[in-house]
Amino acid sequence: MDQLTQPTNLSEQEILDVLKQFITEVIGEEFVEDLEITPQSSFTKDLEMDSIEIVAFSEKVKAHFGRNIDFTGWLSNMDLDEIIQLNLGDITKYIRSCL
Amino acid sequence: MSKFLFVVPPFFGHISPTLSVGASLIARGHQVAWAGIREIAPAHVPAGGRFIVPHAELEEHLPEIQRILKRQDDGPHISGAETLKLALEETYLPFCRFLMKGLPRIVDEFQPDVIINDCITFAGAICAYNKGIPCVTTTPVPPDVGGDAMSAPKVHAWWVRHIMALQEEFGIYAPASVVNSDKLNIVFTSQEFSGIAHPPPHMKFVGPVKGRPNDTPFDWKRLDKATSPKVYVSLGTLLVDIRREFFSKLVTAFADQPLTIVAATSPDIFEQWPDNFMVQGYVPQSQLMAKMDAVICHGGFNTVNDTFMNGLPMLITPIAYDHFHTASLIEKAGCGIKLRYKRLRINDLRSAMWQLLENPQYRNAASRIRDTFIQAGGNSKAVEYLETFVEECKMINVKFQM
Repeated sequence: MDQLTQPTNLSEQEILDVLKQFITEVIGEEFVEDLEITPQSSFTKDLEMDSIEIVAFSEKVKAHFGRNIDFTGWLSNMDLDEIIQLNLGDITKYIRSCL
Repeated sequence: MSKFLFVVPPFFGHISPTLSVGASLIARGHQVAWAGIREIAPAHVPAGGRFIVPHAELEEHLPEIQRILKRQDDGPHISGAETLKLALEETYLPFCRFLMKGLPRIVDEFQPDVIINDCITFAGAICAYNKGIPCVTTTPVPPDVGGDAMSAPKVHAWWVRHIMALQEEFGIYAPASVVNSDKLNIVFTSQEFSGIAHPPPHMKFVGPVKGRPNDTPFDWKRLDKATSPKVYVSLGTLLVDIRREFFSKLVTAFADQPLTIVAATSPDIFEQWPDNFMVQGYVPQSQLMAKMDAVICHGGFNTVNDTFMNGLPMLITPIAYDHFHTASLIEKAGCGIKLRYKRLRINDLRSAMWQLLENPQYRNAASRIRDTFIQAGGNSKAVEYLETFVEECKMINVKFQM
């Protein structure tokens, strides 16, 4: 029997590819060209996303991966060092844990 | 007559409004002094006032003070969360500790009736608390009540933890923060512009205060001959590399446009400027504003205040620190357009500028902000609050002594 691919089966790499697409949409293709986006890319320092961009990004994440993902709630529970260190790999893992 | 002591940080944007209010207090016959960790140009100190730096106590810390001042240049290159750490842990706290070495002596010698501490210069309020002197706070930028990062509980807890530890270092075991006054906090913008619907009662919005006259020469004839819309550009005193990059974008965007650009920057960052650019390092900013049609700046608060006092629309390109908060207030008020400096596109620059010049809604909104600024009362209102405060404190003192 055919079955739709469940989001749970998504690998970290697949999630990362979707996130890369969202980042491109949020900050603009011409600015992404200069960035190397990897799981180690830090959200605020390497990608230099400001709060408005982060909100736009999290809306896209929610729309795609489902309402269980409380991205801004997750962020607001961090301390400063966690926010500074936060990278795309952390976000990928968080999304996977919510699926 | 009373004695007022302003306690200020080594950042001119914070010092500038206190110089203006101080000059008004002196004109009313009061005695006024300033205390800080770095001298300012003597020409800036209002006649009759004194700027006191406790050099003897600070001497051993000079290299560290220099290092911290230099560190501020990293602001544009680090994230918002890192900027918060840089501000509190690497700047405000050490500056407070340095100033506390000499401030108590200055206070004992000057014997102020009131200490007026700038909002990030905690030493003033701590010293006032320890010596039982009434304390007022001045806030030069619209306070970011519940800012993005600060609204996160752990980030807020981090801030409070540092403030309480600092207070304990100086023997203060109060259950709450005393580093800003809870009696009177004078804010140099209007309540409407600040976007704070229900400010605490001690927060008083007096709007921009007037500076001293600036008689820097300028090529007024050339400016008056220009027939195209005039746009003033200022980037404050930021790094030279940012300046080059920023102005090269402006040149690309506006060189072939029917605009006259007045750029407040050293002309030698480029060998040649387009014909429609007038470039000068130091300019008589307030007088220039009166002749402009729009302003481009990063969000330094003195320029923001000058812009809206003249009812001009603004293209704001926030770079670091409080610029983002100021930019969001400008967008909310409808008196300008925000373009983030980090991702600045030439086409966006151009179309935003023509929007500002051709769509009257921006200028109308800027005029509304000007009205709120003027109604806030400026210098005379600030002086009124301070005089009333000091008289009330003296009366309470007399009662206690009876």
